Amino acid sequence: MSNAPVQGGGAGAPLSTKIANLVIAVVLIAVAAAAIASTGDFPKTMLAADVGPARFPIIHATVLIVLCLILIANTLRMPTIADDTPPVGVAGYAGVALGILATAACLYAMEYVGYAVATVVYMAALMWLMGQRSPLWNPVIAVVVTAVIYFTFQSALQVPLPVGSLFE
Amino acid sequence: MHELNMLMNGVATLAANPMALLLSLVGVALGIVIGALPGLTATMGVAILLPFTFGMDPVSGLLMISGVFFGGVYGGSVTAILLKIPGTPAAAATAMDGFELTKKGMAGVALGTATLSSFLGGMASILVLIFLAPVLAGFALEFSASESFALAVFGLSIIASISGKSVVKGLIAGFLGLLIATVGMDPMGGFPRFTGGYTELFNVPFIPVMIGLFAAAEAFKSMEDPKVRLGMAAALGRIVPPWATYKSLLGVVSRSSILGIVIGIIPGAGSDIAAYVAYNEARRFSKTPENYGKGELGGVAACEAGANGCTGGALLTMLTLGIPGDAVTAVMLGALTLQGLQPGPLLFKEHGDLVFTLFAGMIFCYVGMLVLGLGSLRFMGRILQMPKSVLTPVILALCVVGTYAINNSLFDIGIMLAAGVAGYFMQKWDFPASPVVLALIMGPMAEANFRRALSLSGGSYDFLYSRPITAVLLTVAILTMLLPLVKRWRAERAGISGGPVEATK
Repeated sequence: MSNAPVQGGGAGAPLSTKIANLVIAVVLIAVAAAAIASTGDFPKTMLAADVGPARFPIIHATVLIVLCLILIANTLRMPTIADDTPPVGVAGYAGVALGILATAACLYAMEYVGYAVATVVYMAALMWLMGQRSPLWNPVIAVVVTAVIYFTFQSALQVPLPVGSLFE
Repeated sequence: MHELNMLMNGVATLAANPMALLLSLVGVALGIVIGALPGLTATMGVAILLPFTFGMDPVSGLLMISGVFFGGVYGGSVTAILLKIPGTPAAAATAMDGFELTKKGMAGVALGTATLSSFLGGMASILVLIFLAPVLAGFALEFSASESFALAVFGLSIIASISGKSVVKGLIAGFLGLLIATVGMDPMGGFPRFTGGYTELFNVPFIPVMIGLFAAAEAFKSMEDPKVRLGMAAALGRIVPPWATYKSLLGVVSRSSILGIVIGIIPGAGSDIAAYVAYNEARRFSKTPENYGKGELGGVAACEAGANGCTGGALLTMLTLGIPGDAVTAVMLGALTLQGLQPGPLLFKEHGDLVFTLFAGMIFCYVGMLVLGLGSLRFMGRILQMPKSVLTPVILALCVVGTYAINNSLFDIGIMLAAGVAGYFMQKWDFPASPVVLALIMGPMAEANFRRALSLSGGSYDFLYSRPITAVLLTVAILTMLLPLVKRWRAERAGISGGPVEATK
């Protein structure tokens, strides 16, 4: 993917890049159109010399739609070439998805068990996910790093980290 | 000559106050740590430290705060270069080329260049503050809403230059950023836009988005390849750049420092804007602009000199006019007042000795920053010796806690995570992240100042061309935006007539 094309029609692009360009452009056009539609609910400005709260979002969204249409046109014009980048594979995408899910789970857990517990488990899980499988070192590193971060932010920088509703 | 004599007296006074010297070094060290941690900015560092300085004498207290300020602006570059975690918004610009250099095994030289350039930019700004403060102070008063709008548009015009392989994709990222920047309270009427009823979105914090797009996205990417997972991050290499290499960067550093000082003087414009503008100008003047974004030392030097050049500029208007140049100096304004000093034209007359002692101390702070920075780089570079299977979880844990620290909000971590996922896919499909960050910084500034200027002119658009600074900045902005497009169009035409076009230009 790193050899993706410039916007012009002179260079080609792999099929996966072309599909991604088209999907992203269509999604962004939908987002921009929704933004323009929802500005209809914005109130009119009280100041005679002001353009109101809707003007700038409408301008940005309109330009975004035009740019996405240009991207679609360029993508359709460019020839399809073979993809020379090594494929990520299902296992690779699964690793990324699990990492994202672990982060979301850490965020959710932090509300209930607090920063310290959630982060220790989160770090140990991420290390396991990345191939560091030591049953001794994973928890030790997770506890030490979390303790250092906790002390730095909570005590030295006076940032009150979440305690968790279960421990309040 | 008068200023030089006063400065010498200041040096003598400072030399007799070792506690002030020690505290300024402590401030610099704290600033570097705070700047390096994601989510914690120099503003936050100064605000955290402020209560501790109440009991100190004015010189010690104010120098400690200055140390945090200078160290904080510089510190952001360390994690930006090593880990692609911009500790501060200005460091997001440094990360563009700094992290590419790390990937090439040149992290040490990148860090050394950043440290030297921060020092030179900062020192230049303090010297301008000392010797040219009264001359330049009036410049800040020339800046009203219309000039600030034009400056923001000029900043936004850089998007075309930092778009990477595809200008269209860069512009799409930029305008998506501008659309996201409109989420929250309308700057004139206070009407909540696109918030979906969430009060947390009334003021969209751009730092979580920045941390997500840069650091979290990079961490997620390193999870996809099992071979990368257990490997070492990268080598540090030599730290101090060879003189022949750095000599070629002196022009970039000088230009960027001047830009930083000028932008610092402008009220409301800070080191983040200075870093991006300096980067763009370095690229524009470079003989090899195509190398920018792929690991060019000039890019790192420009961002750091520009960002640190801002410090003296921001202090200049704060001390001479009582107008803070950015958020940090706004907090420092409070610190000065609490110490019984009233910033403004009379400060230099009534407390001249104290002011020049502070100036001498600020020079000492920058020298201290250079020594501490260069001395600690080898130690900080050990981060790269960690296996990625440990480093990536540490990066993500820092992203989470750093994001939380901005507003003590779990909601912000959600924003960071969403930005991280978006950033991962953007990276994958060659949509650059920097234009989004730039748009989030400049977008609200452009809108608020445009509407303010329009109100001030009674609804007339005359201010766009009748005010000289506004007209010049807008013209330069249009040229900056169009030139890369014209160049690429011409290159493509040449490619079509002369053979196949290179995919990456």
